[in-house]
Amino acid sequence: MSKNQNNNIVPLSPGVGPVVFSEAQIQARVMELGEAISRDYAGADLVLIGILKGIVFFMADLLRSVHTPVIVDFMSISRFGPSEETRGAARLLKDLDLSLQGRHALIIEIIVETGFTLSYMLRTLQARQPASLGVCALLDRPRHRLIDVPLKYVGFEAPDEFIVGYGLHYREKFRQLPYIAYYDPKKGT
Amino acid sequence: MQPQPNPNPPKEFAHPVEAKFARLLDFYRIPWEHEPTTFPLSLDEEGNINEALTPDFYLSNQDLYIELTTQRQSLITEKNRKIRLLRQNYPHINIKLLNRRDMRILLIKYGFDAVTGKLIGKPRDVEKSE
Repeated sequence: MSKNQNNNIVPLSPGVGPVVFSEAQIQARVMELGEAISRDYAGADLVLIGILKGIVFFMADLLRSVHTPVIVDFMSISRFGPSEETRGAARLLKDLDLSLQGRHALIIEIIVETGFTLSYMLRTLQARQPASLGVCALLDRPRHRLIDVPLKYVGFEAPDEFIVGYGLHYREKFRQLPYIAYYDPKKGT
Repeated sequence: MQPQPNPNPPKEFAHPVEAKFARLLDFYRIPWEHEPTTFPLSLDEEGNINEALTPDFYLSNQDLYIELTTQRQSLITEKNRKIRLLRQNYPHINIKLLNRRDMRILLIKYGFDAVTGKLIGKPRDVEKSE
């Protein structure tokens, strides 16, 4: 449960702290992003590309706020971490089902921080000769950026703390929260 | 003052965090060099280098130098002063300092929670110092 009978938010864990972006704030901003995308890509052959798996909530809401015909597809890439560290380089775990050639492609990301993952995705997709390639991120942490990546649409600037919810996780937990909240790993899960 | 190529960049990393960061760059196929350039920051009367900074990494595709530090905030003043001097003397150079807190967030983001304390100190120490 994320809300009690009085509609107050109940933390799923002592580590989940104050809400950063409420469900209403997120929904309103996603609507605005959808309007902007609808306007900018009116009449275009547009593919929205989600990077699994944190993207599912944002993609579902964004899709429903776009008022021009679009195609949706998903990719998944291996992520650097203890289990992948010795396995060489990033690789596609799930590729697109559709061709991008001649189509306008818009990568949908939940959060952009260092730019490592996104730069890999941009290089990979640019090679497929889309008519254009852009990025829409719900959250941006520009202070953490190490690799320059062009963001066409940004929802919010993220605070410089751990956050969870709306697809964001800590050890794969808390993605299901309808809002985005601070998370303190020291307080445990 | 002119940047000087480092004729003998170290073959090993001075700190395990540097090795982890290099592995992260390799994973995402981001070209990097280890301590390739020394930036003199001040000279004595005879023109000898008084102090200098050799950033840990250079990302050639980004034209970006990166300095990593695991020092606590209270000890980081000297590092900040050198970075500030470098920016003053070489305004065309892009350099970014990743401090202990940045490294902690990065390590935990990539799932290295279990070794974060070993690499950069205990979280409570981080909190106390920051």
